Amino acid sequence: MARKVRFELRDLTRIAVFSAIIAVLGLPGAIPIFGSPVPIVVQNLGMMLAGVVLGPWAGAAAVLVFEVLVFAGLPLLSGGHGGAAVFFGPTAGYLIGWVVGAFVIGLIVNTGTRKPQWWRVALGCVVGGIVVVYGMGIPVLAWVLSAPIDKMALSNVVYLPGDVIKVIVATVISLALWRAYPQSFVRTAAVTARVEEPAAHVSY
Amino acid sequence: MIALYRPGTSLLHRTPAGLKVVLFMLVSLAITVAGSTPWALPLALVFVIVGYLLAGFGARELARQVFAVRWLVLFMLVAQIIFLPPLVAVGNAARVLAVVVLAALITLTTRIPALLDAIDRALRPLRRVGVNSAAVGLLLAMTITTIPVIAGFAATIREAQRARGAKLRLATFAVPLLVMSLKHSDDLADALAARGVE
Repeated sequence: MARKVRFELRDLTRIAVFSAIIAVLGLPGAIPIFGSPVPIVVQNLGMMLAGVVLGPWAGAAAVLVFEVLVFAGLPLLSGGHGGAAVFFGPTAGYLIGWVVGAFVIGLIVNTGTRKPQWWRVALGCVVGGIVVVYGMGIPVLAWVLSAPIDKMALSNVVYLPGDVIKVIVATVISLALWRAYPQSFVRTAAVTARVEEPAAHVSY
Repeated sequence: MIALYRPGTSLLHRTPAGLKVVLFMLVSLAITVAGSTPWALPLALVFVIVGYLLAGFGARELARQVFAVRWLVLFMLVAQIIFLPPLVAVGNAARVLAVVVLAALITLTTRIPALLDAIDRALRPLRRVGVNSAAVGLLLAMTITTIPVIAGFAATIREAQRARGAKLRLATFAVPLLVMSLKHSDDLADALAARGVE
């Protein structure tokens, strides 16, 4: 890696807070989902937002920290799962895909301008949140089950509609977050000249 | 928060965390490499039985672990059953189930701090290439203590919306959660800086 990555204190706390958000998104009953009683996994929404808001390095780090805690035995995955087991089961590829995906989302959204553009966010979430995650998850699934890869890919189509909805929700949330609290997106380099104006009022 | 650790004094409980992870990786590799050969399943079964006996757990704990991953098993079966002969699908799922149940042994017999320490130690050689393992430790500890705070924010927002009779929707819920959380993170950074961290 040619570029040296160094996290400032402000990045560290953001990484920790975003890892915690991903964890909370998996707690049962913590998140209302369209009034539906069916548990929908929204943790990959957290992973998409980590990439969008924190950028490639810190975003991937936030997902990684979350997964290290899951590995260490905290039951933080949706449905109270956790432990080393999930990294050796058929879902291992998806978990690796989350880290890489958050990085890719950060790259796509983060290049150039500071204000997130909706199409960049949407494109980033589709590429990083769906293509990368499926692209790493399905081969591992097929390998672990020693099943043909094309058929495993076909059986994954079931999850596509839900993930497309999550891309839309992630885009809506990112743009709303920019309006509510633009400092969220400020990168470390710009932090010294941080906007001093008190944060926009929280409406909930 | 309920940790998945079960206290005990068995051989496996006393084995260092790092060694357990390495041993488990070797075992799971052996089972996976054996793959669809006919002796993969018996091999996996032997590993599981020996593993649970070494940890001092009985059939009941094993059954509990199998039950805990029932959705995963269902997911595997559904993914395969349409395309593969049923016997092959069940065999594959059983083999993976064995690896998953074995991995659970690490979690069942190792305290979380011990595993975090092992991760810290494993990262130490990476200091030469610039990985700050102390920062990693701080990060992990900070995340664990932040989870209840964020869960508290989530509860506050949910109750405020309910009190106003607002419709609970993911987007209207997530934005205030993110704003509150990111402000909290900036406060946390200021507090750490004030205490001279870094």
